[in-house]
Amino acid sequence: MKKDFISMDQVSVDFDRQQVLKGVNLTLEQGISYALIGKSGSGKTTILNLVAGFLKPDEGTVSIHGVKVQRPRRETAFLFQELGLLPWQTVAEAVAMPLKLRGQKKGIDMLVAELLHKLGLEKHGNKYPQELSGGEQQRVALARTLIGEPDLILMDEPTSALDATTKEELQGLIRWEQQKRQATLLFVTHDVEEAVILGQYILILKEDGRIVQLENPYYFTENAREQLGFYEECIKLRGMIKMEKDV
Amino acid sequence: MKEGSWLVWTGIKRGIQGGIKRFAKGQFAGFISFLILWEVFHLLLNTHTVPSPLETLVYIVKVPGVLLLHCGASLLRVMAAIGISLLIGVPAGILMGVNETCKRLLSPLLYFIYPMPKIAFLPIFMLLFGLGNTSKIILMIWIIIFQMILSVRDGVEQIPPSYFKVMDSFCATAGQRYRYLILPAILPQIFSGLRISIGITLASLFFAENYAAVYGIGYYILSAWSKMDYVEMFGGILVIGLVGVLLFNLLDLLERLSVPRGTNPRKKNP
Repeated sequence: MKKDFISMDQVSVDFDRQQVLKGVNLTLEQGISYALIGKSGSGKTTILNLVAGFLKPDEGTVSIHGVKVQRPRRETAFLFQELGLLPWQTVAEAVAMPLKLRGQKKGIDMLVAELLHKLGLEKHGNKYPQELSGGEQQRVALARTLIGEPDLILMDEPTSALDATTKEELQGLIRWEQQKRQATLLFVTHDVEEAVILGQYILILKEDGRIVQLENPYYFTENAREQLGFYEECIKLRGMIKMEKDV
Repeated sequence: MKEGSWLVWTGIKRGIQGGIKRFAKGQFAGFISFLILWEVFHLLLNTHTVPSPLETLVYIVKVPGVLLLHCGASLLRVMAAIGISLLIGVPAGILMGVNETCKRLLSPLLYFIYPMPKIAFLPIFMLLFGLGNTSKIILMIWIIIFQMILSVRDGVEQIPPSYFKVMDSFCATAGQRYRYLILPAILPQIFSGLRISIGITLASLFFAENYAAVYGIGYYILSAWSKMDYVEMFGGILVIGLVGVLLFNLLDLLERLSVPRGTNPRKKNP
């Protein structure tokens, strides 16, 4: 039986006297991918920020491996919606940065070259972010996220700014890398289809703070989008997001 | 030769070659147009107060050693003032950009002093620091440092918050934040602050070197003015302009070499 990896216990967060999260309880296992969906303003990104250590709860505790999260940890990697690629860093410099920040000095070039090759970015090592397409930029940010071999990957709407083809390509890449590395993936998305493609479990954040956890029947299915019932599943999930109380 | 030093050498060589090409193409043409305009003025006004450009150029060529000596003295003062302003202005600007309390405390003071006519403080500096180089350099620092602090502060404030979040997510230390994020982000602002500062300091030489000076291009112009030797005076003015062109080009070259292509407004993306 797998041990609890992340646990949130009665977590509440207020912003400017407005309650964003109220008594949230959540337990996540190691090596599994979780899609977090819910209405806009329901506090999905706040949950990511709490787990990342960017934010402290007003009440309750967030812990990873039983240790209370007080600040960002090296083993957690965050793929931001805005990507945050520094315009003065080349692709290779951006991907190498997490290792340099850890104080690693040897073997960085080799690791970067290997990862860039895996993500199809080997020709772009000397380019700057603004010389790349949206999909390529997203892959660079993904490479920067993965290079430090994190045990937890957090993603905030990882493919929201991409066209349909690039989105599918990147989703495949994220799925492959997460499964290969056996890292825990927790991502927020507005796209229910993306949740069904990438999440082994789907977490629906309700307005009263409860989280409904569903196992995704299509997670281990090849070409899930082409399967009968895939879109019905998406419609069912959309309905569950809209409903105040779950059935 | 090692690959790194070869790359640096190639970069410098390309920078110099590019600089010469640009100068030949653009700035030389600009200089010639200026001389033509000057000649037109000279012919229209027909007064000895505005000498002909040719006469002025001939004068410059005749006394290059004297002018170089005066230029050298002025340049040393300008460089000292800019160097000290950088040493104080960059950390102060960064501090105001990253620390909200510092910004709230110091910004009103800065806004208050910034528009003041700084030259008016000259008697105070003379009284406090004597008639030598110190008071002249401090006057120039006083003129340019606020511009420098504001440029750097604004540069830090323009860094998107998401960049800081990225650094936090990788557990960057304070030193690493400066090395990988803040300093590269504000480099273009430092250069633009320097560009403005060079212009202002060269213009302020006329005031800074108008007392107790024996060497300095400001002194040279003022001395010619008092002798009513307008060819000499215009010779000095022209030389200040040429020094400005030289310094601006040097700064452009430095910027091209030190600011990465991604953030460098002077480097076009392919």
